[in-house]
Amino acid sequence: MKSILKFALCAVLLCFLATMPTFAAGRTYVIGMSQCNLGEPWRVQMNADIKREADKHPEIKMVFKDAQNDVLQQRAQVEEFVSAKIDLLIISPKEAQPLAEPVSKAMAAGIPVIVLDRDIIGENYTEFIGADNVKIGKAVGQWLVKNYGGKGAKVVEIMGLQTSTPGQDRHNGFVDAIKGSDLNVIFRADAKWLEPDARKEMESALARFDKIDIVYGHNDPSAHGAYLAAQAVGREKDMVFVGIDSLPQEGVAYVKQGILNATFQYPTGGDVAIVQALKIFAGAKVEKRIVLGSRLFSKANVDAGGEAIK
Amino acid sequence: MLQTIRRALTSSAGRAFLELLLVILLGVVFNADGAFFKVGTHRDTLRQASTYGILACGMTLVIITGGIDLSVGSILAVSSVSFSLLMMHMDWPWWLAVIACLVLGSALGSASGALVSNAKLQPFIATLAMMTFARGVAKYITGGQKISTYVTQGDKVIIKELPQIFKFIDSRILGGDLSIVSVIFLVCFLAAWLFLARHRWGRELYSIGGNEEAARLSGVPVRMAKFLAYTFSGLMCAVAGIAQAAQETQGDPEAGAGYELTAIAMVVIGGTSLAGGRGSMGLTLLGILTIGYLQKILSINAVPEAGRLMITGIIIVLAVLTQKRRTK
Repeated sequence: MKSILKFALCAVLLCFLATMPTFAAGRTYVIGMSQCNLGEPWRVQMNADIKREADKHPEIKMVFKDAQNDVLQQRAQVEEFVSAKIDLLIISPKEAQPLAEPVSKAMAAGIPVIVLDRDIIGENYTEFIGADNVKIGKAVGQWLVKNYGGKGAKVVEIMGLQTSTPGQDRHNGFVDAIKGSDLNVIFRADAKWLEPDARKEMESALARFDKIDIVYGHNDPSAHGAYLAAQAVGREKDMVFVGIDSLPQEGVAYVKQGILNATFQYPTGGDVAIVQALKIFAGAKVEKRIVLGSRLFSKANVDAGGEAIK
Repeated sequence: MLQTIRRALTSSAGRAFLELLLVILLGVVFNADGAFFKVGTHRDTLRQASTYGILACGMTLVIITGGIDLSVGSILAVSSVSFSLLMMHMDWPWWLAVIACLVLGSALGSASGALVSNAKLQPFIATLAMMTFARGVAKYITGGQKISTYVTQGDKVIIKELPQIFKFIDSRILGGDLSIVSVIFLVCFLAAWLFLARHRWGRELYSIGGNEEAARLSGVPVRMAKFLAYTFSGLMCAVAGIAQAAQETQGDPEAGAGYELTAIAMVVIGGTSLAGGRGSMGLTLLGILTIGYLQKILSINAVPEAGRLMITGIIIVLAVLTQKRRTK
């Protein structure tokens, strides 16, 4: 019995010794990432952006969790992270209200929290990083008016889910920007972000109108679906297709292939979150909110990596 | 003469036909500035209904046995991403990729079939489990991203040419008036119709749906017949998945979510009974066209989403109510 105890003690000591070098070489930081749903390519990209940036810093160890679109599951994950005493929490919350409480508990436990993309109720977090959909919708409208205004262009708007904030914002910003111009929206349909639905709605628009000049899709798959519909009846050359999101394998690739005329980036902020996390570890003071800028990728600039939008 | 007409109208086929006529009349009235009268509109309606229609073919057989298949949308996704992966990333010959997908879909369908017929699980539970499992498979294969012609090889990124077979399936024949996807649907429909109306297996399915115990006692190979029904449904999902991939020009692991409900609605609106034992492929065809036209008419009139959902719900109830009177 005694010998077993002794052995166990030795083993524990050995473990301590084994971890000593890392302490000596500088601290490692464990960052927990709670992603609300990996069912969307954009969110898969967000995790990839985080990972790519984190891999540049050997002192960072990332732990990813996926809440599968379930608020309570995400809440449980935040609690798991808190009890595991991680050094920083990045959360892209599913909903604003129910996740405010778990996040504030993490803050109370001394864990800094970076909230990504979707906001939470209240101010009890370290930093919020996100893009502004109204601004991006506006940028789309302004770009279209600048480049295609003055000819009475007829526009089809393939909208994202209109019961979601991003869908409403991308619509409102756009409508705001084309107000007073001669751009005329002749057909609007809610394709719920889905490419097959976008194609169906565009086919209806094509059947109904002989002249369509511009198609604005609230995301790149919608614009792509609309393109396929137009291509099927040989009318894709008559139209300008514009989308939002600019994922490298979707929107940006579509622009490179000449399918979309332009795509406006909705940045994930994943890389920015890691940069900010390092600042927080270094003890620097960070802003409460960072609004990410967007980029425009068009035929002219896509190979140069797009251009930033002010 | 009058009596023949009355009899024709009170048969379930007559009622299903009446429903379709009413929906088309709706389109004639709300024709969206004449868009409803263009040939292209009808061609597109048929094409859009085709994917659901292929699923509904397999679904009809399963429902006639008194079962249900909730996994069709997920198996469609597995087939769609596998086909895209094999063709776009691995450059398989098209026929081999098609066969691989059909085998994969049938295998998933037969797994539900085995759970239902051998393990005696409720069809609802067995196919619900398959629906979840297959969605997981689709996400696993793709790593959560869509499979497209945009291929990453190490650090290099290449944009490949869209495989010919994708272009072919999404093309049209007869002077552009009939989509290949619709032709594929018609072939599936014909196969399902032959099995159900002309083959012994079809009669076995009806007798199982009517009274499983009686069918067993009268020597019907109940287990085998049911197993094959789910396998056939899986095969149909694989076909639909290939058609879906060609139309989207990519494999989306989220494809087909919710399609099972549309397929079930198409079967039931036609007049096939969810209790099993009654129905036919002809009825399903009328159901497919009814829902297909309804969706198209709502779309060309740009009816907002909320209105669409309410109208579709009401039409489904009305259609099933018309069918119900028959059973008095």
